[in-house]
Order: sequence, then structure tokens, then C-alpha cells
Amino acid sequence: MTGSARHRPAEVFGASLIVLIRAGLWLWVLFNLAMVLWVMLNSVKTSRSIFANPVGLPDTWMWENFATAWSTSGLGAATLNSVILVTVSVALIMGLSVPAAYAVARLGGRSSGPVATFFAVGMSIPFQAFAVPMVLISVGLSRFMIDWITGAWDPRVTVALFYVVLSLPFSVFVLIGYFRSLPGELEEAAALDGATPFRTFWQIMAPLARPGITTVAVLNVLTLWNETVIVLMLVPNQRMQTLNVALLNFYSNMQYTSNWGGLFAGVVIVVLPMIVIYLWFGRRIVNGMTQGIGK
Amino acid sequence: MVADTVARPAARRGRATADGGALHVERRRLYLPLLLPALIAYLLFFVVPSIFGVVLSFAEWSGLGTEFSWVGVANYAELLSSRMFLSSFLNTVLLTLVVGVALFLIAVAAMVALRTARAGAFIRSAVFLPFMISPIAVGLAVSFLFNPKGMVNTVLGLAGLDALRQPWLGPELIFRVIMAGVVWSAAGFYVVLVMSAVDGIPPSLYEVARIEGAGLIQQFRYVTLPLTRDMIATAAALWAIAGIKTFEIVIAFVGTAGTPPPEARTLAVEQYLRVTGGRIGGMAQLGQAAAIGVVMTAITVVLIVLSRRIQRRDRLEWS
Repeated sequence: MTGSARHRPAEVFGASLIVLIRAGLWLWVLFNLAMVLWVMLNSVKTSRSIFANPVGLPDTWMWENFATAWSTSGLGAATLNSVILVTVSVALIMGLSVPAAYAVARLGGRSSGPVATFFAVGMSIPFQAFAVPMVLISVGLSRFMIDWITGAWDPRVTVALFYVVLSLPFSVFVLIGYFRSLPGELEEAAALDGATPFRTFWQIMAPLARPGITTVAVLNVLTLWNETVIVLMLVPNQRMQTLNVALLNFYSNMQYTSNWGGLFAGVVIVVLPMIVIYLWFGRRIVNGMTQGIGK
Repeated sequence: MVADTVARPAARRGRATADGGALHVERRRLYLPLLLPALIAYLLFFVVPSIFGVVLSFAEWSGLGTEFSWVGVANYAELLSSRMFLSSFLNTVLLTLVVGVALFLIAVAAMVALRTARAGAFIRSAVFLPFMISPIAVGLAVSFLFNPKGMVNTVLGLAGLDALRQPWLGPELIFRVIMAGVVWSAAGFYVVLVMSAVDGIPPSLYEVARIEGAGLIQQFRYVTLPLTRDMIATAAALWAIAGIKTFEIVIAFVGTAGTPPPEARTLAVEQYLRVTGGRIGGMAQLGQAAAIGVVMTAITVVLIVLSRRIQRRDRLEWS
């Protein structure tokens, strides 16, 4: 292939190393697919056959694993919590970050560089630096609302608040990149046609940035769907917890229930929506995660 | 108006470069209304609390209505004399370094062999997949594979390798198994990340290298590696940020019922136990928990600065 006539030992070594690496990569691919299949099969097996027959097809197809996980173990309510929390949070994140990113990328003038950096700094602060103040704010907020304003408080609202602010740095930063990459001539043309700056943003530039906006929204859905620690810290009531935390509780009760099939059904309920999103948006998710960050 | 006076220099600049100065002023007026909601939310609920976290690490306080007292560096001193903290600190550093090296080797291997591989796009999507999946689910599945009656031991038994069967989740091995799980779930992301830099390299450079008689390994050494150094630096920084925070997968290995064994605790787990008081009904130790947060930020900053040193000084320009 390399077209060289002499085969030096180094080349032979190199060629075999590459064959080896490629074989390793394919093994990795197979392992990933096998894991997905294995989890799915386990979710329709009896707990006994999960241990007795770890690789084969189920003896009896236990579709009721999903029913028990969904209703008896409370994963249904948790799914609803997750769906609502993620939907509301992502809507708010986008509502805040799209205008802000446009402003920084297109209207900011001299201050836009520092503002972009200011948002970017938030991406490198570990969540744990924020955890204790977050818990205190959460306690203070709920006490304040109960005593003075509403008389009641739902900790899930606090979770949504922190989901939104913690997602802002990444979202704003990546969207700034998208808005900067759009051609400026369109804005000038819109202005010449008499569009106000706001209309230019809302009806011309935002639609043009839609691929970027969709990508950022999907990435936020993924992150928040998989989020666990904030709910663990802020929501003590099991009925209000999200899917991942419910799954953990399910697992913790395993020594009493031994419903392993149900546990795997729970894992499928957590994982399947994300696999579907991955198949749907595939390349865009991958590019958004890697190229948006790499810049 | 004050705003106009402030905006004047920018407006003048606008007039000099483009045409309509009036339009420019109008656009400047839109700047703050669009920016402020996000900026204020970020400032008020993220930046200020984070700074307050540093303040808290020098105090003893359990929230509104309780007494606030300055304790100086006592929280840090207590951490230093806590065996749990020290072992979780070492575990976190160990995990970040060991997994970091493993991720680097995998990424390098991929850069050598994946560029010219057949079905490269498919391989990339398939290895990326675990990164998309909830770390809780990953932790549950991996720990189940390794449980005493799990798949790994069963397969080893069937293969006649009974000697290799281990209590994988026992105190001696559990952290290694967790690290393997982290490698599995994260590696695909870093492979795709560095490959996106490899894709940016003009094919003509590889052509030239090939004509000069360079094999794939030399092509990696003399073309790929020098031209992807920036991305490797970025990847290293991203891994530092992510690795220090490792939490969910550990929790998934042990569940929420018991407290994780000290051998498996990371700093994030240790902090979580101190924030919530653990499941054994202990008291929350918020000052110490805040100090752990500061320590983690410090490690992250150090690692980011170190990873910057990999980066090249001059920016790359294709052409």
C-alpha cells in the first residue's frame, strides 16, 4: 500500500500494530452493541433466568417487568417528573441563552469578548464548588416562599432554576459561536429593508441559527435527562424525584425485592429515549459536543 | 441620556466602518435587553453563590436561621486530618490520572488507525454511544456484570479460568472496576473529539508524507500529532474538568442505601455525604463540604493550566 519496495521491520511492525488497533476498535464496537442488547434482553427475563442464563434469549418473555417497574416501583411517576423538568428547563434555557448569545455575538461591540469569556468560565467550575450554596439557597428559598409568598413550595421548581443557570454557560458560549459564523450581510440587508433590530434578530438571524439552536437544545436535554446529583441533594421526597434517582432507589431496595428483571426494565426506560435521540440526531449531537467545545 | 454618552465611542467606530450610525445606535440599544436576563440569572444564581461557597469554606453555617461563625482555616484543617477525605482525595487524583492516561492511549490509537479505516463513521458513532447514556445506568450495568454471580465470573467459570474469578466488587478491586467503567463510558467522546481535529488536516499533507515513504505510524508522528496538539490539550482540559467530578457511577455501584465504602469514594461522593449527612443520619457538615468544593476547583484549575502547556504558542493556519 505504501508503495515502498523494501519492507523494513519497522514497517511490518507498524502495519501489524494498525491491524491490531483496528481489531480492538471493532471489538469495542461489538462490546457496546452487545451491552445494549444484553440490557434489553435482561429487561424481559425473569430474575432467576438473568443469573442462570446470562447470555441466552429469555425462557419466558417477561414484559410485565416493565409494568412492575412502571407502577409498583414508581418509575412511571419519576418518568413524568423527568419529562416535565427537562422540558420546562430546556425551554427556559433556550429562551434565555438564544437572545443573550445573539446580543454578545452581534451587538456587543467591544464588551462582547469579555462577556463571552465570563460565560465560558462557568463551564470549568466544578459543580461541587456550587453544591453547598445551592443547598442553602434551596432551603432559604422554600422557607421564604412558604412563610411569605405562596404558602407552599415544590423543590422541583428549585431544581429547574438550578438546571437553567447551570446550563447557561455552555449554551450561551456555544450559541455565540453559531451566531458569529452567520454572514453579516443578511443583517445589513434586513436593516436596509426597514426591519427593526429586534425583527432582524427574531425573524432572520434566529431562524438561520436553527441548526445550532436545535443542537444545543438536544445536548441540554441529554445532560439534564441524565442529571442525578442535584435531585439527590434537593429533593428528599421520593414521589418528586426523577428517573435516575428513582432507579437508584429501586437498586437500593434490591436486597428486599430481588426484582432484577424490573431493574433492567428501569435501565431501559432511562436509556432508550436517549438512544432514540442519538439515532435521530446522531451526527449533530456528536458534532455539537465535540466541535462546539473544541473551538 | 447616559446610555447615549456611553455608547458614543462605539457609535463613532460604527460610523467609521459601516454606514448607518443611527442604525448602529439602535442595535446597541437592543444589546442589554437581550443579554441581561441570562446575564443576571447567571450572575445571581451561579457566580455569586459560587463565590459564596468559597466564603462558606471559612465558616461554620447550616443555613438561614442558624448561627454563622468564622472559623478561619479550621474546615481545611479538619479535612486534612480526616482519613475519609484523604483517601477520597487520593482516589480522585488516581482516577483522573489513570483514566486520563488510558483515554489518551485510546485516543492516540484511534488517531493512528481510524483515519483510514473502513466504516470509520460507524465505528465512531458506536464507540460514542456509552457517553450518551446516563452514568447511573452505565454504573448499574457494569456493576452487575462484575457482581459475584455476574456475567464476568460466569464466563470465566465456563472458560475454565476459575482461578481468575474474583470478588470484583470487594474493597480491593471495586475502584479499579469503577475506573474501567469510566474509561468505557468516556473514551468514545475523546476519540471523536480528537478525530474531529484529524479530519481538519488537509489530505495533501498525508499524500506528501506517503510519497516520502512514511508509513501510517510515521504519518501519525510527523503529521497528525503536531497538528492536533491543540485539540489534545483541549481534550486533556475537558477530561480534567470531568474526571475530578466523578460521582454518579460510584453511587450507581453502591446504591443509595449504604454509604459507599471508603475504597470507592471520590471527592464528589465524599462531599455529597457531608452535604446530606449521609444515609446513616449524620449531621450535615456544610463548612467542610464547601471546603471540598474549593479543593476540587483548585485541582481543576491546576490541571487546566497544566493542559494549557501542551498547547502550541502559535495558532495554526491552513494554506
